[in-house]
Amino acid sequence: MAEVEDTLKRIQGINGVIGTIVVNAEGIPIKTTLDNSTTVQYAGLLHQLTMKARSTVRDIDPQNDLTFLRIRSKKHEIMVSTDKEYLLIVIQNPAE
Amino acid sequence: MSHTTVKQKRTALKVARSSKTLNVSSGVFRVNQSMTKTINPSFSGKSFSSGSDSKVLDKSLAQTPKHTVQVFDEHGQDITPHPLYNPDPGVLQPKQGKIFPAHEMSWTTMTDFPSVAFQTTNASFTGPFTRSFFGSASASRTSQTAESVTDETKDFIVKPDLSSSLTDVQTRREKVKEQVREDIMDRVVDCYLTETETIWLLDIPAVSVSVDSEDAEAVKERNNAYTELCKNRQGNDKYVERSMQTFNDAPKTKEVQSDSITMVDKAVMSTTWDMYDSFCNKSDVSENTVVSAEGNKATVPDSSSMSHLLNPSGTDQSMSVFSTTSTVSGSSTHLEKMTVLPVEEEPDLELILQSDKFKQDLAMMERVVLANIFQPKLAAYRQLPVIEGDEESWTEQTKNSLSPFLEHLWAFKCELTMGRNVSSMTWNKKNPDLLAVGYGQHEFKDQKPGLVCCWSLKNPTWPDRIFHCESGVTALDFSSCNANQLAVGMYDGTIAIYNVQTAEQTPITDSSDCANMHTCPVWQLRWVDHDTGLAGEEKGEMLISVSGDGRISKWIHYKGLECVDLMKLKSPNVTINRQQWNPKILSLAPGLCFDFHPNDSKIYLAGTEEGQIHKCSYSYNEQFLETYEAHTGPVYKVAWSPFCPDVFLSCSSDWTIYLWRQDLPKPVLGFSSGQKVVFDIMWSPHCATIFGVVREGKVEIWDLRVSSLDPTIVSLTSTGVNPTVLLFTPETDCVLVGDSEGHVTVYKLKNLPAGGSTQVETLEDVIWSTLSSQHTLGKTDGSA
Repeated sequence: MAEVEDTLKRIQGINGVIGTIVVNAEGIPIKTTLDNSTTVQYAGLLHQLTMKARSTVRDIDPQNDLTFLRIRSKKHEIMVSTDKEYLLIVIQNPAE
Repeated sequence: MSHTTVKQKRTALKVARSSKTLNVSSGVFRVNQSMTKTINPSFSGKSFSSGSDSKVLDKSLAQTPKHTVQVFDEHGQDITPHPLYNPDPGVLQPKQGKIFPAHEMSWTTMTDFPSVAFQTTNASFTGPFTRSFFGSASASRTSQTAESVTDETKDFIVKPDLSSSLTDVQTRREKVKEQVREDIMDRVVDCYLTETETIWLLDIPAVSVSVDSEDAEAVKERNNAYTELCKNRQGNDKYVERSMQTFNDAPKTKEVQSDSITMVDKAVMSTTWDMYDSFCNKSDVSENTVVSAEGNKATVPDSSSMSHLLNPSGTDQSMSVFSTTSTVSGSSTHLEKMTVLPVEEEPDLELILQSDKFKQDLAMMERVVLANIFQPKLAAYRQLPVIEGDEESWTEQTKNSLSPFLEHLWAFKCELTMGRNVSSMTWNKKNPDLLAVGYGQHEFKDQKPGLVCCWSLKNPTWPDRIFHCESGVTALDFSSCNANQLAVGMYDGTIAIYNVQTAEQTPITDSSDCANMHTCPVWQLRWVDHDTGLAGEEKGEMLISVSGDGRISKWIHYKGLECVDLMKLKSPNVTINRQQWNPKILSLAPGLCFDFHPNDSKIYLAGTEEGQIHKCSYSYNEQFLETYEAHTGPVYKVAWSPFCPDVFLSCSSDWTIYLWRQDLPKPVLGFSSGQKVVFDIMWSPHCATIFGVVREGKVEIWDLRVSSLDPTIVSLTSTGVNPTVLLFTPETDCVLVGDSEGHVTVYKLKNLPAGGSTQVETLEDVIWSTLSSQHTLGKTDGSA
């Protein structure tokens, strides 16, 4: 448990990382480093997008599953590590 | 229509009253013949029996009074009423005209006793219509007042006379039959089939009479009388107009209210994978997706707050928006659920955070995030084309200079390693991205617990594995057979083998139990693979160590570590006072380094603290094959050239590096630049003429093609920091330098003259030319 906390802290401490959010299977954020409204917004939207992406991947081949989702935008990069039980979201600004 | 009237006087009436009750009782059910009979004598002839009644009314009794009941009047005359109906099978149907008289009779006053006669003769009436009247008529007989009529009519069980008469007939018949059976059993009986009597089921008397019938006249008369009666009704005092009104009750409003019907939307999406899941799992997968879809809609804020959420902004109450009511699909949340769900959420959160998958994902995420930052550096490391972009200053630097230099890529460092001295580095044999770094002090003073970190190239900010050791780490080597085994040699002489696949802090095995363990720091470790072995020799990999106690030992790992001495580094004979000092006590020179020949794993070199380099054989542990003496200080490193089989390098704290050829007792070339201690040297695995040198305060790359006097690249480190270890990368053209601050810096060799081949010939040429110039009594100076 402490190891997990340490890792999360390290990720948050990396240069350019704006925030990290851990979301459970129902789309509710359970751990976050951002403020309330942003977290809720990110969690809800990314949850839906992940569901859609997973649905797409599995429709093509039901034995496949989505593991990682990366969205590169002008300002940020949003990285989502997906699993059945949770979502791990990291928002980074690589240009610093 | 024959009536027999029964007259009765008033006195008899009284009696009749009492008899009425009796009659009532008798009329109701049972007729006690005896009772009625007893009554008869008591009454003065006026009594009558309800014998006929009994006949009529009592159905259950099979016994019908065959013996007649007689009625006597006061004068003793037999006025027993004769039944109208003769209980013969061939009796005609009764006349219908009797109905009306009976009907009329009932309307008359009840005191008219002669009416009684009618009822008694009503036995002939068969229809159900007549039945009731008979009953009523009989009631009138018994009662004096009209009131009791209705009561008694109820009491009477009116049965058709016919049935009773039938029963009479039947009983008679039965009796006849019985007699016949008894007498004539064997006689031939003649059976006569006759038509049974007609059984009447329904008989509705006609209401109209034919003109030709006998009664036509009478009927006509009666009809006329009736019409006259109707005419006389108008204005007649006998008839009064009466109207009736039904009262409508006051209406009353009644309201009924039902609960509002809650509408819930429910939707299911069927997809290919959904069907696949259901088919595979055969569990309720679709329900979960529905619930989760509905859960997204519920955003009811409640007071249940998640206290363990990180909250840097400090808004406590706002965190409660993370509602725990997502599992409620309906519209309203119940208080019960609000209190229950926070408890359920806690294990959910813990479960997620503690699951292995989450840890893996976290690690991967960390690497991904770092890759975003380090991508250009890593690409340069791997000799990939660099992406043009943000790092402008970095690219400028590369474009400008043409001379060889070391390009700083990144440094492996973290807070754990701050201030520690890097003592050894080694690459993993199987995974070229995995680097093991040992941290430990070389000096005797300020020893602190050592540290071994396994760094991955993909994460330069935090090591993948951290092993804490009791004493300073001085030597490391990865096994090539079992790529996950890492041998660690420590300052106190212990050798431990760690399994780096897991993060367990305890080593697989430890040499501290071994009796033969080293008593001095283990300065170098090597896993040596003896592929080529003579018969009887052990095959496989073995761990060889050299230690400050002067022994070179071979370690075998069975259940624990056991060691066998390969060689004892004996001190050479010391001449003191021009006398051979032949000590009885064997003194050993501390060994600092060794290196096995790359081609012939039997031969190895060992460097001692006294400046000698011994060439030894693996199978011969008594004496050295050869000794090379040139250094005046401890030899820190010896290294065979990976390309030239005869050439090796040695470095020492006497500021010099010597290039030797194994057949020559004296070094071929010497390299020195400045008066700084040389800590480490290493041949480049790519080019035969390049080797790297780590001095106090400097990192040098020597290229013998260019010059053998001066290093080609000199990179100064920051003041106060001494690079201590040098390591070339086996695949790329980078070099790693570990320093006394705990940093392992990765440099890329830039602008070195590229050679097509490994330049072995060049090296040999250099050596040959040097040697030849030596022979020609010239100074040992090579030329490019």
